[in-house]
Amino acid sequence: MRVLKFEKKNTNKLFDVLSKFGEVWAPVPKGESYSYQRIESSKDFAFTDGCTRTVLPEKKLLIPQKFSTLNFNSKGYEKPDEEIPAKIVFGIHNCGISAINILDEFYTTDYIDADYKQRRNKMIIIGTSCMPDEHCFCDKTNTNIVEKGYDIFFTDLNDYYLVWIGTSKGYDIVRVGQNMGIFNEDIPKDVSERFSKFRKEKSEAFMNDVDLEGVTDLMELSHDADFWKELGDKCLACGQCTMVCPTCTCYNIIEENTLNKDAGTRERYWDSCMFKDFSLTAGDHNFRAAKSERLKLWYTHKLKAFIGHFGVPSCVGCGRCIVTCPVDINIKTVAERLKKKGA
Amino acid sequence: MNNKPTLGIYGFTGCAGCQLAILDCEEQLVDLFEAADIKVFYEAMSNNDDEAEVDIALVEGSINTETQKEELLEIRKKAKILVAFGSCANYGCIQTMAYGDGKWEERFKKVYGDMKFTVGKAIEPQPIGKFVKVDATIPGCPPSTQQMLMAFTKLLNGYMPVYPNAPVCLECKLNENECLLNKGIMCLGPLTKGGCTAPCPTHNTGCVGCWGIIDEANHTSELKLLIEKGYKKEDIIRKFRIFGGNNIAEKIDELLEVVK
Repeated sequence: MRVLKFEKKNTNKLFDVLSKFGEVWAPVPKGESYSYQRIESSKDFAFTDGCTRTVLPEKKLLIPQKFSTLNFNSKGYEKPDEEIPAKIVFGIHNCGISAINILDEFYTTDYIDADYKQRRNKMIIIGTSCMPDEHCFCDKTNTNIVEKGYDIFFTDLNDYYLVWIGTSKGYDIVRVGQNMGIFNEDIPKDVSERFSKFRKEKSEAFMNDVDLEGVTDLMELSHDADFWKELGDKCLACGQCTMVCPTCTCYNIIEENTLNKDAGTRERYWDSCMFKDFSLTAGDHNFRAAKSERLKLWYTHKLKAFIGHFGVPSCVGCGRCIVTCPVDINIKTVAERLKKKGA
Repeated sequence: MNNKPTLGIYGFTGCAGCQLAILDCEEQLVDLFEAADIKVFYEAMSNNDDEAEVDIALVEGSINTETQKEELLEIRKKAKILVAFGSCANYGCIQTMAYGDGKWEERFKKVYGDMKFTVGKAIEPQPIGKFVKVDATIPGCPPSTQQMLMAFTKLLNGYMPVYPNAPVCLECKLNENECLLNKGIMCLGPLTKGGCTAPCPTHNTGCVGCWGIIDEANHTSELKLLIEKGYKKEDIIRKFRIFGGNNIAEKIDELLEVVK
């Protein structure tokens, strides 16, 4: 892997380079938070240092909230004839890249999800370093530094960015940038010290004291604990946690006919295991009718079950459930309940 | 085509906005008129056939008089499938906001005194389901174009419409809004049926609950949360009642007990 230097004054030119490869998407301010949006011009392009997390995670760019997965008419089904644009997603942090690594495992290991794969193949991931806020806990989920999953990664060393090249696609972009003179190999001699200092500052900046030690086993041991009912009584079943979680993948499929036409579409849209009807089956049986059962399922999936399949938990420590849940049910508060039970 | 399904669109008490929402379909309106033989639609047509039997009756509005009740019973007799169309027909909407708050006769007298009415004998406003069997529903205040067309398509093809059983929060989050409850704004999104695409919270105004209460609404938890945010119990319950109708009336005592 080669490492280069990028000077902040060249940010506008970076946009020009990236936009040669496809649509550029990056976090832009929305309310008091941020949202991934398409950037159309270099004047709207920036390293958004203030963006710790967007409201919706990167998954919205890989599996849209609602889209037609098939068209049908009396002759049969066919894939919609649509061009998936190349998306250069700029400004993804370590947790987001880790989440995409998890989605890759989920959607392309045992069964290949064509809708995901065609978008994923066209996505280029440009990561940027970050500092944690009071809700981040990626240090506890081992997702604070990523070793893979990015095409290019920018580490902010104050005066300049270190540019890490992760893939040959990333290298193609960097070579175009080099031709325009925005990346160079003239890295200051003290770079190792500077980088170590950045790592130290970052690891010391974590404020969220969530304790995930042993929670995987405690999930198993707490299957019948009383606190699940208490949390179920409190849960509003609003489904926000599953929408904002970067590794939640549940969806539903319905077929919509077109009025007065012998045709329609098969629509795929984000669903939530927190909604009662998600676990409703034929014969009107619901195997997770109680909210407490649904919460237990979600936390089992995040903290335990995914490890069995893929070797890592499916929580990346982004803190979105903590900032989002109106009644304070999140990884942190559930971990606290689990630990008390274990003590 | 002579075997098109016949459709009657009838209105009782309400703002007539649901019928207007059909006309608001604009682009798809021609498709709708081609797909169905519309026998009654006072808001849009002059040659209405009141006596016609219909395959599908869309009934808008709540029932507020004895005369309306009789008319509704007649529609039920004439219709193969009767659809409660919009919030008033489905659960009573704001006409039922005072339901359970003392006796209706007393409330009526307080507002109208001894005034003589010519439109029929007034009764306590009720959703149509209190008087007749309802076969299908189209929710909304007014119904959304997309959901309504989906429902029409199903009904006209002989199927019953089904909807995602998800609160307003789903669509609110898909619009990438930050949760208003976390900002201390009273929002009834988690208690309310979705399908509206969450326009109010998207414009920083808390959901008022106009599509009606969702099956699994957790009023107790929302009430406790809003009290924590500094709202008065009475104000919260008043807000619950505005669009809660008779559905919330049964829960009021229970809620008051919880937060004693």
